[in-house]
Amino acid sequence: MDSFARLLHLSPPLAWMALKLLIVIGGVMGIAAVLTWVERRGAAMMQDRIGPNRAGVKGITLLGLVQLAADGIKFFLKEDVVPPHGNRLLFTLAPALAFVPAMLGFAVIPFGQSFSSGGQAYHLSLLDPGNGMGMLYPLAIGSMAVYGILVASWSSNNKWAILGGMRSGANMVSYELGMSLAVISIFMAAGNSPVGSPVTLEAYDPHRIVEAQEGLWFAVRQPLGFLVFFTCMFAETNRLPFDFAEGESEIVAGFHTEYSSMKFALLQLSEYIHIVTASALLVTLYLGGWRIPFVPNPGVLLSVAAFLAKLLFLCWVFVWVRWTIPRFRYDQLMFLGWKVMLPLSMANLLLQAWLMHGRGIA
Amino acid sequence: MFLVFALITLLGALAMFRQRNVVVAGLCMVLTFFGVAGLFVLLANPVAAALQIIVYSGAIMVLVLFVIMLLNSHEEEPAQSGRLVQAWGGALLAAVLGVGAVKLVLQSRTLHELGASPVPAPITLNKLGVQIFSEHLVAFEVVGLLLLAAMIAAVSIAKRKL
Repeated sequence: MDSFARLLHLSPPLAWMALKLLIVIGGVMGIAAVLTWVERRGAAMMQDRIGPNRAGVKGITLLGLVQLAADGIKFFLKEDVVPPHGNRLLFTLAPALAFVPAMLGFAVIPFGQSFSSGGQAYHLSLLDPGNGMGMLYPLAIGSMAVYGILVASWSSNNKWAILGGMRSGANMVSYELGMSLAVISIFMAAGNSPVGSPVTLEAYDPHRIVEAQEGLWFAVRQPLGFLVFFTCMFAETNRLPFDFAEGESEIVAGFHTEYSSMKFALLQLSEYIHIVTASALLVTLYLGGWRIPFVPNPGVLLSVAAFLAKLLFLCWVFVWVRWTIPRFRYDQLMFLGWKVMLPLSMANLLLQAWLMHGRGIA
Repeated sequence: MFLVFALITLLGALAMFRQRNVVVAGLCMVLTFFGVAGLFVLLANPVAAALQIIVYSGAIMVLVLFVIMLLNSHEEEPAQSGRLVQAWGGALLAAVLGVGAVKLVLQSRTLHELGASPVPAPITLNKLGVQIFSEHLVAFEVVGLLLLAAMIAAVSIAKRKL
């Protein structure tokens, strides 16, 4: 690490920060871009079609991957239409409002085992452990994601857009409650670092949560919480079966009916980035983060590979579910959110508290 | 850093006042909340900052904007006649209140002790929980009861036939 920093004429922490930024932003954007391809090929596979396979450079199609480049070029060349009676400023701002929270949520996720070099510890997460925000940060940022959709839908001045925005706004706010309660029981189970460990981390620090999953993953210890959080993640990312921002059969394309060109591309990309961030949260909270079962110290490369494997699998699950389960009706969505998910989440919290009390922890 | 967040807060608030469009004004208020959250972080209280964003910007403002968007008119109408007395009276009152608040803060004893005492450790979720459930238990329960009452009232207003 030191020699690498000297090569760039930077101090080691600064060089490491820059490197991490490159890895995270590049990695998340890359996965999100490929996900658009996975989604179309996956959809085709499940519906017994072929999917995109024609675009290619001199006959090289790479299983349709070249389609991504073709889409990108097309988006750049398309006319950028702004609806005349909408709010121009907010219409332009909305894609950024959708994109930034989706991207920021990843900042606290530890995507590999920490290592030390030259007497200094390096952590594989953008924000170092012990920053005081911990897991509250992705929750806070995640609650901002609703603004992108609300603002996009309102500023379009379009009936379908506003209907989509309203529905998904209500959806996201409703499921946030169950999700937060599930996360709180994770904090309880993780607990602060035991007395005498080299660094004392708070219970809600993601590094501590990964540390606490050394034996059993939280998905095994709290199956109910996992189920609730998993479902709420689908609602928060506005994916089917909670796809209420769009709903082609009812409200055209929903909140992005009026969007075209690169603004549309940005909205679409932020949905996929959201999937990546949601998967990362699930991996960190419930699937042991970068841990590999029965391997106490996997090392940097192996741990990153394990994290990536879990992340990609969950991303695939998001695609898988989309083409398997049909969309809910709006009242079914509200019923599920308030009368099933929230009580289940509360029951999980009480159960975990009772179990901890029984073991004499608190 | 303090100046940056203070400016975000103040400019957001100012923009909210000057904005005629109610939805844009609401979004300016969200910006102000972010500025306040930044100030909380500077005051070594990241938990309050996170809660500020989750509760105020993430839930309350969303619901307020929701209601505004469902209404038909989003533009404030300009006043039919300028009301000079009210305008100047309001400005004067605000100035007096501001001066009074600053004076009170400057006179308070804790402010003078602040320089002498060591820098406090950042507030964590754990500390906050212990504080709430030991020192402020009664207040916490009262707030819970108040929220329950408000909830029951809202349901009884919304649902004519229970």
